[in-house]
Amino acid sequence: MEMTKITGKHVHDVYCKIQHPTGLSIFIYPKENCNSTYAIFGTKYGSVDNCFKRSDEQNAEKVPEGIAHYLEHKLFESEDGDAFERYAKTGASANAFTSFEQTCYLFSCTDRVYESLEILLDFVQSPYFTKETVQKEQGIIGQEIKMYDDDPQWRVMFNHLRAMYHHHPIKEDIAGTVESIAEITPEYLYRCYNTFYNLNNMVLCIAGNIDIDETLSVCGRMLKKSEPVEVERIFKAEPGSIVTDYVEEHLSVASPLFQFGYKENVTTVNRSEKDIAAVEVLLDLFASDASPLYRKLLDEGLINEASFSHEYFEGASFASVIFSGESKDPKKVAEYIREEVNTLKNSGISEETFNRSKKAVYGMNVSALNSPSNIANGIISYAFKGRELLKYIDAFTELTLDDVSEKLHRILDEKMSALSVVLPRA
Amino acid sequence: MTDMKRYAISEGVSLNCFTDERFKTLRISVDLLIPLAEDTAEIYGVLPSLVSRATENYPDYTLFGQKLADLYGSSINSNVGKVGGYQVISLSAGGIASRYAFAGEDMVEELSSLLFGILFHPLKDETGLFPEEGFRQEQRQILENFDAEFNDKILYARQKCLEAVFEGLPQGLNRYGKREKVAALTRGEVSGAWDTLLKQAKYEIFVLGDCSPDISLFEKAFSGYGRQYAALPLVPHSGEVKTITEDLQLSQSKLVMAFKADMQPEERMAFRLMSAVFGGTPSAKLFVNVREKMGLCYYCSSRFYPETAILTVESGVETENIQRARDAILEQLQSLQAGELSEDEIQSAKLAMSSSFRSVEDSLDAVESWYLGQCFFETLQTPESAVQEVMGIPKEQIISEAKKVKLDTVYMLKGNSN
Repeated sequence: MEMTKITGKHVHDVYCKIQHPTGLSIFIYPKENCNSTYAIFGTKYGSVDNCFKRSDEQNAEKVPEGIAHYLEHKLFESEDGDAFERYAKTGASANAFTSFEQTCYLFSCTDRVYESLEILLDFVQSPYFTKETVQKEQGIIGQEIKMYDDDPQWRVMFNHLRAMYHHHPIKEDIAGTVESIAEITPEYLYRCYNTFYNLNNMVLCIAGNIDIDETLSVCGRMLKKSEPVEVERIFKAEPGSIVTDYVEEHLSVASPLFQFGYKENVTTVNRSEKDIAAVEVLLDLFASDASPLYRKLLDEGLINEASFSHEYFEGASFASVIFSGESKDPKKVAEYIREEVNTLKNSGISEETFNRSKKAVYGMNVSALNSPSNIANGIISYAFKGRELLKYIDAFTELTLDDVSEKLHRILDEKMSALSVVLPRA
Repeated sequence: MTDMKRYAISEGVSLNCFTDERFKTLRISVDLLIPLAEDTAEIYGVLPSLVSRATENYPDYTLFGQKLADLYGSSINSNVGKVGGYQVISLSAGGIASRYAFAGEDMVEELSSLLFGILFHPLKDETGLFPEEGFRQEQRQILENFDAEFNDKILYARQKCLEAVFEGLPQGLNRYGKREKVAALTRGEVSGAWDTLLKQAKYEIFVLGDCSPDISLFEKAFSGYGRQYAALPLVPHSGEVKTITEDLQLSQSKLVMAFKADMQPEERMAFRLMSAVFGGTPSAKLFVNVREKMGLCYYCSSRFYPETAILTVESGVETENIQRARDAILEQLQSLQAGELSEDEIQSAKLAMSSSFRSVEDSLDAVESWYLGQCFFETLQTPESAVQEVMGIPKEQIISEAKKVKLDTVYMLKGNSN
């Protein structure tokens, strides 16, 4: 078993990365004096993975939208009861989520951690679907989809993604649609399960009150070796343009919401720790509450502090910079952001601003390391993208002004910007 | 194991210290509790964001933001909350511990001086009033917050239901008061109110995380302040069930049911446990039956508010299924009242609550909420003593508490997607 210790130059915590003989990558981040433990077991399989080709097969296959999320719901069930009933005996608080690129099962607990870990590893490796159980879930997931239909932040985001992306499946709803989930059968679920729930495509991460040897002994007992099958995800080539620069929808809201952003013309599937750090610093100096842009938007009553935020939204073969919030005049917000990008491109970034934002973003990332759930969620999503958490934090201290300037000039291209607005009904 | 250390600086000012190097951050919070009243809620509600936007030392919003960024992305947070019939005006300063600062800055010193600046030296103009521009900014943002609360239909439905439960009482007021009264505020009435609030509030001060605070500094700053208050009496059931229906163009309807509990203070934990077996976890009656067996909804859960002795159940359902969901929820409560409760169900709720209590001390936010939520209780309970208490509650008591809850209000937000 290959074990690597990972530590940072500024944060001296140590975590272990273990390449388990079954194919699974395991990360263990013990935190001294912590009462709780958070464990997350996930597969690199999300809502975007609807077209794929296995290395042991000739042809690619396309499946209905929403299977990854449907699988997440159904894996909790087995022939003799569900996983929640089993966790009920250990006191662990369990949950799961599906995002664009991953499906993860998790629990947090303060006692009987190894029993809960056994449950986690067992049920995720034991699929059980029948026509009846699959059918029953349609009502529950249908209500989940409808709940999001009424969520204006969810709507403004997907409308925005559809304005930016022609083909990339991130523009499709994670849970699918009421129509697409009606096509889901036990056969589809088994097919996708057997393709993506291969331990070579999965990661286990545990942070908090945890012992490495005991964890590995549970893993040794519970993990079933997977054949080294590789899965190629097939995405239709995405044009270097947006679909439309403006999209709006009317919902039962009292004030407008917006999401505005720049689609990046990505040339690689993944981005490095340094790439992410550089964009985070750029966004902080450009749009944090200490920036001239923020001040201007606030002074003119165009944004509020509770809702205005920015994000570098990126994953396999997609990336975009996103600003969102509530505003009485979203078009004006978009215009000011575009103007400020041009101003900054012309004036350049000052050393003082750069250093300030570098410290600010570094500090915020160090702060996030208090929480076992933040740590484990961070490590697992980084692992799926080939990045390391503490290497990312070190990247801030090594960052130069040139790294950030390069991002400013390359990724904030006005022609690639789009605005999505949700407006009150007339 | 770290313990919370509590110091009484004066009758109305308590300092709570929970310091531990396992955290990479520190935080200093001052929570001011003041009776929630119709004639002051709007005025006090606008104050925390107003005083924290600029101070005598940092008179410009952007300069203040830059100072915080220079302190490794430290933050000043202001918040308005509610505990029972009290408004909680919170101001806090948080950031990384000195050991992670590149130049070894003294972060406790830096953050406490910023926070004290906000409390005792907020920026005022030559006439002694908060500057007009800042006042208008904060007033606008609170008005926008009312809109945001409407945009989130789960939150909106919960608020409408609780407002109806406590109609005409302080417990039923929005944390920011009434929208039209916020719109009519003047900076004159708001400016004078800050000193009144400082004099008349009950203080809960927290120093949390990786730091060793100088207690005398806090004693000196706060000794002349503060006032003691008692919890408001619980509101008895009127004998009638209120039903409120609102129609909106939505895909999904929301159902919120509020029950009043006839509770003595020593029964709080037993009611929490009763709520947990009823609908607090994925192995609780509501989840297992209303969601899993009947497939009626994605969420259906209960929550108990110990300070007001209210139990709520929330769900999101198809409009045509509202009545079925309501009946199913009541049926689950009746079965609990009739004693249908297995040892496994009890044990699982107890373990889930214990785990959640024991996790409190892993988060500075959770530690503050835990103790702030108890600030009107007779004695303070540590998470570990709460674990001991909940584990000792017998089945008979859970059933007997279930019999003491009565349906008070049903609020339905009916979706109509035509």
